[in-house]
Amino acid sequence: MSKTLRWLSIVLVFLTHGVYAQQITVSGVVTMQGTGEPAAGASVQVKGTSVGTSTGQDGAYSISVTKGQTLVFSFIGAIAEERVVGDDGVINVSLSEDASLMDEVVVTALGIERDRKTLTYSVQNIKGDDMRAANQPNLINALQGQIAGAQISSSGGSPGLPSEIILRGSTTLTGDNQPLFIVDGIRVNNSSSNFTVNRIADINPEDIEDISILKGAAAAALYGIDAASGAIIITTKKGRQGVLQVNGAYRSFVETLGRTPRQQGVYTVGLGGTYDESSGSSWGRKFRYDEPVYNNIDRFFETGLTHDLNLNVNGGSERLQYYVSGGYRNAGSTIPNTEQERISLLVKGTAKLSTKMTLTTSANYVKNNIQEGLGGASAGGWINSILTYPLMYDILQYQHPNGEPYYVYQEQEDPRNARISPMWGVMKNPRNNNVDRVIINGNLDYKPLDWITLSYRLGQDYTNSSYRTVTMPGTPGTYFDGRVTDSKGITKFVTSTFNSTFDRTFWDDFRATFILGFNSEYYDGHTLAYAANNFLVRDIPSPNVVERNDLSLTESWLRRQRYAVYGDFRVEYKNLLSLGITGRNDWSSTLPKHSRTFYSPSYSGSFTYSELFNPDDWYGKLRVSYARVGKDAPIYRTNTNLNQVVTVGGGFSVNATGGNPDLKPELTSELEVGTELSFFRGRLNMDFTRYVKETKDMIMTPRVPLPSGYVIKTFNLGSLRNKGVELSVNAIPIRNQDFTWSTTVNGWRNTSEMLEFAGDIVTFKYTNAQLNAGVAATTLGDAVLGIVGTDYQRTEEGYVIVGDDGYPLIDGTERYIGNREPEFNIGWLNKLSYKGFNLSFMWDFRFGGDILNASRQRMMSVGTAYDIGVWRDREFVFNGVVAQQDGSYIKNATPVVLDYSFFANNYYQVGTNFVEKVNWARVRFITLGYSLPKAWAARLGVSNLGLELSAQNPILITNYSGGDPEVNSAGPNAGGTGASTMGVDNGAIPLPRTYSFGLTVSL
Amino acid sequence: MKKIFNSIIVSILTLGCLMSCSSLDINEDPVQPVSVPVSQRLPSIQANLAYSLYSQARWAAYHSYYVTTRLGNSNALTDTWNYNGITRLGAWRWHYFDVGSNIVGDAGMLVRAREDGANNYTGVGKILAAFSFLTATDVFGDMPFSEAYSGSFNPVYDTQQDVYRGVERWLDEGITELNSVGPAAPTMNGASDLVYSGDYQRWIYFAEAVRARLKLHTANFQNGYQAVLTSVDKALEGFEDAMFRYPEESSSPWEKNLWGDTRPNPEWQFADIRNDLANSLPTDVLMKTLAIDADAGIYDPRLYKLTTPGARNNYYGARMSEGLQDPNLPTGTTYQDFANLYNGYWTSDNSPYPYMIKEELYFIKAEALFYLERFEEALNAYRQGIEHNLRRLGVEEGHLINFMGSAKVVQHADDLQISDIMTQKWLALYLQAESWVDIRRYGYGTHAYPYLYYPRFVTAWGGRYIQRLPYDPQTEYIYNPKEIARLGAAARDWVFTPIWWAEQSTLKMP
Repeated sequence: MSKTLRWLSIVLVFLTHGVYAQQITVSGVVTMQGTGEPAAGASVQVKGTSVGTSTGQDGAYSISVTKGQTLVFSFIGAIAEERVVGDDGVINVSLSEDASLMDEVVVTALGIERDRKTLTYSVQNIKGDDMRAANQPNLINALQGQIAGAQISSSGGSPGLPSEIILRGSTTLTGDNQPLFIVDGIRVNNSSSNFTVNRIADINPEDIEDISILKGAAAAALYGIDAASGAIIITTKKGRQGVLQVNGAYRSFVETLGRTPRQQGVYTVGLGGTYDESSGSSWGRKFRYDEPVYNNIDRFFETGLTHDLNLNVNGGSERLQYYVSGGYRNAGSTIPNTEQERISLLVKGTAKLSTKMTLTTSANYVKNNIQEGLGGASAGGWINSILTYPLMYDILQYQHPNGEPYYVYQEQEDPRNARISPMWGVMKNPRNNNVDRVIINGNLDYKPLDWITLSYRLGQDYTNSSYRTVTMPGTPGTYFDGRVTDSKGITKFVTSTFNSTFDRTFWDDFRATFILGFNSEYYDGHTLAYAANNFLVRDIPSPNVVERNDLSLTESWLRRQRYAVYGDFRVEYKNLLSLGITGRNDWSSTLPKHSRTFYSPSYSGSFTYSELFNPDDWYGKLRVSYARVGKDAPIYRTNTNLNQVVTVGGGFSVNATGGNPDLKPELTSELEVGTELSFFRGRLNMDFTRYVKETKDMIMTPRVPLPSGYVIKTFNLGSLRNKGVELSVNAIPIRNQDFTWSTTVNGWRNTSEMLEFAGDIVTFKYTNAQLNAGVAATTLGDAVLGIVGTDYQRTEEGYVIVGDDGYPLIDGTERYIGNREPEFNIGWLNKLSYKGFNLSFMWDFRFGGDILNASRQRMMSVGTAYDIGVWRDREFVFNGVVAQQDGSYIKNATPVVLDYSFFANNYYQVGTNFVEKVNWARVRFITLGYSLPKAWAARLGVSNLGLELSAQNPILITNYSGGDPEVNSAGPNAGGTGASTMGVDNGAIPLPRTYSFGLTVSL
Repeated sequence: MKKIFNSIIVSILTLGCLMSCSSLDINEDPVQPVSVPVSQRLPSIQANLAYSLYSQARWAAYHSYYVTTRLGNSNALTDTWNYNGITRLGAWRWHYFDVGSNIVGDAGMLVRAREDGANNYTGVGKILAAFSFLTATDVFGDMPFSEAYSGSFNPVYDTQQDVYRGVERWLDEGITELNSVGPAAPTMNGASDLVYSGDYQRWIYFAEAVRARLKLHTANFQNGYQAVLTSVDKALEGFEDAMFRYPEESSSPWEKNLWGDTRPNPEWQFADIRNDLANSLPTDVLMKTLAIDADAGIYDPRLYKLTTPGARNNYYGARMSEGLQDPNLPTGTTYQDFANLYNGYWTSDNSPYPYMIKEELYFIKAEALFYLERFEEALNAYRQGIEHNLRRLGVEEGHLINFMGSAKVVQHADDLQISDIMTQKWLALYLQAESWVDIRRYGYGTHAYPYLYYPRFVTAWGGRYIQRLPYDPQTEYIYNPKEIARLGAAARDWVFTPIWWAEQSTLKMP
């Protein structure tokens, strides 16, 4: 105890006095042997400490050290060198290339760092800088193309919309398919409630050091629950001993409208070809020459401006290092009345309490306030109102000069059912999602012996959120007299983890590591929501100004406790062989008592066969792993509750979601084989992986047959399989004094199959993709992310059968008509550097994968679709065959007119008319940076000055007929009953084209 | 080594449980009840039953030719009788979940009623469940009954005959319970029973009325008119209207009649059944039925009670499915040339929602007597039905006497036609789904409904008339494909397949 006190006082001394002892500053240049080029970003570390720095673009460094200490110079692809510090203040080092390249250390489950050489499963690592080159505020979007096997789709180009990441295919048809997110060892909230942004977007990308993606179940097995979908391990930056560093960055972005669907400007409102303003449809006569036709899509969107400012300070002494950062982002959008304000503060410190004990603590505060003009709905449909607004009206005319609503059409002086520009809702009825979030994290490491580490980590992710919607008085519809709702909630994830690690080398060539740990995770989500209707004072949207009867309150309180004990045993022989076994046992409160515990084992091994030959020239490894992991159920789904009703007389009625006391855990097993190869002294590296993943007893919460007595129920619904290949190649084709070109290609393909359904289910439709002729659905024996709908009647050869009247015949039976999963994906990242210039760009190719174009169907049904302008009332002969009495077919030759009845009763009753197989090639980002030469920078009084020009999503080449083909109508985890709606275009807000300018300064 | 190992295990457990050790038994919602007294269950069941009946009538009112869409050919369901594009059908949910599950499901009222010895609530519950099942099977036909609420996701679909037997059994059981309510049973009063304020006798009469309705549907092919007459007479001994009433004034969309003019849309689940009378017009069938001398502008006085005047004070009628597209309408006709469908007796925000009204009993009696060839009595019941309806709607005494004596009302038993009874019943049951039952029993025949015709925009079904609503596509077709296939309900023309009593009916041809 007294020893601890002594150390504490020493820490205090450090805090107050900073650096002490007799230190000198050493500087120098690190170059590569042979080429003589500077080693930019090489690490310079004081041996035996965590003190270190890295070299600049020119290979130069400077560091404070004590005489007699040893400096370790290391650089990726080079053999590390050591130098003892003497009296000389200049140490120049020339490093030789290391053939056995893979000395990279990778963060794996539970934050355990492992040598890449001995890894027995696939882990992909993204450096913070590579992720930041994408210039995306939501880090999930920044990962686009960087990970082989990650399907990322954003729900649209608005700061408040979620993005979904699925690793190796979806494992559930409803609910969340996303991997676990771990920041510095604790689980963080990535939910997307009320269809707002997924909460990982609160994390400031500037603070991220690197990201490890544990794709498979084996890699993530130690996380047990939820590991079936993989895990994303984020490590934030930390302080380094040495000179205090101050870095600042400012970026501004200009967002412009991306690719949008097209409309027809030929026909005005009405039905049946006559003008009738009482109809909101555009099936009237042609516009007269003297009538204005408004291009409302272009008129609606605007140019958004974003400012993003970041500052960080880091430094420290031998015993105490700190990292402090602050970020401010004020983002605009192409959507009017839409903006985001994000403030983040991160303080992180590491204190070496004794030679055996280290304490790391951090606190991250984030304020993320988002206001959105487009309110949307749980099934998407964000810009449907804009796509279908008649072109005879100017969308920008939505209010009178006095601020009162401008109804373009109303009947019988009844504004409740009037028509008004969607701009009214955008400007007057935005939704606000405000979040204050604090993530605190403490980790104590104790090394009683050099081969034993005990660590304890306690963390809490605390989110205070408010989700508010307003309907101002005068808005046509149910809430004509005004309504405001606000849902205020506090969610907490409390994670407590104890780990003990034993790591010993014996008989010279063997190394054994053993980890034993315990984990507790508590989740608590407490929400109080109000809804207040009918404002007595029209311009104050508040519960204060409504009658008491018009105010309702709802409380919800979700709790979950999970415990786990786990172990990990691993033996390595030289660098040749390694074998690992892990086991984890979970207990979860969300499962019924009799099935609340489950065991998740994993087995893995790797064989570095190159070690048997000539390990200096090349590198080759085979790895194989198998894991089975379990998953618990959603909270409170084992029994049925009653809910208060607000119908006349009040009282209680059965909750629409019924309890299920027979729930079992969901199990996912995965077999993964892979190889890693490296040639030309590490200039060409390849990683190839194949996997088969099977999920059994999938836990889902869908709508169920009403005769069961419930509307929704959680149950074990079936099993499915994902199979895939992932290939990652990176090469440095050119590296010389002035010019370096490195390139990475990630390619992947996942195919899935629904293996089994509970009961008699053959096709399962998703409730959050409510379209008519075609719906997102899963069919037994077919791809999981399928589309089901109607088609035309066809002959055995596939010809469309046309009726005697000349119109094609609809086949009444719904069938599998599309697969929303791409056939192949390629992400191609290039980084070029020439002297002070850096250029990086990412090409993203997608081949195949169907889109269900519900936007077009909707536009057709109201007559605003582009095709209607082209085809309506034209004579047409369908390409098909007509059945004859004798059963033979002849080619159709009957001309017909493509009138309203045809479109309404035939064309848009057929799902296949709205399924498109889509390919795209797009540049996700292109970023050009320039670092001023040191001398110039010094003249400006800074040590480093960089400029950056960048564009995001500037180029998109696609065969899609609608807007931007990156669509996901309901986003991830939509309301708990949604499914992945990747590939469903339901009024998606197109991703913007964005151009940015940046300035970075280091003092 | 061993010592270290032991100490580690101990520290794992202590540390783990020191920091956050809450019990695993926290999977019950602390802020929602699991069970409440039966008196707190009955009001919402009754409110939901009104919604459920509305959800059937929402479509049946169009299929019964009361109203049609204004623009014509604009709603696939009502104008072309094409139900293949729908995502959900609210009527299925309202019956099975909102009403049925709250009574007989595993969390339903009957469970607690049994525990608390509340056989008064059991009785009323069973009668309401029976009534709800009767109305549902009359729009859906065969449907789960014996395996409903068993937890099965693929229950067997019982024949409509079996459902009818089950309904009668529940009526009997309900009556038995109500005849033996003991002093230990909890109070049922105006706060818990919003229909009859806890008057058990009224519930028993209501049960008999339901039985009379049920028996009437099959009487024609089961030779059951005498039984209908017995039931209806029993009911008429003390029947009072079974209505669900809404407050005179309320700003809550939950406290409004769903046919009301604010088009209440309280929550998302009402989306597909929100009333569309704002965009609908009275049909020519309705206007002809109400006209005494249209050219002179003389109408049945009920016209002005069922509707409110349009802007131009005209009373045009729109042809079914055509609306304003009817080429025979005078040039320049707009919706303002028609009666306004809102704010009539049944279509105001505060209108009561009828479960069953007394007129229906009179007309049931008239129809039964007519086929028993007791025409004098039939005429009498028929006239009672009309008169009762006029009084209900508030027609002034003078107008009433005039109308009852007019040529619009049959005066002599010799003149009484079945069409007289059926059209007057149809008028009295304005917008109720029961009218669609009658129309289907009579095969949409002009012998019973002289003004009916085949809609112009219903072109795809070979001249067949719509006979039922489809099962909920979002659940039944997904979970129970074998039963759906057995019934043939996946066919695009399923809704044209007559249900049992319509198939069997001998009334279809004159």
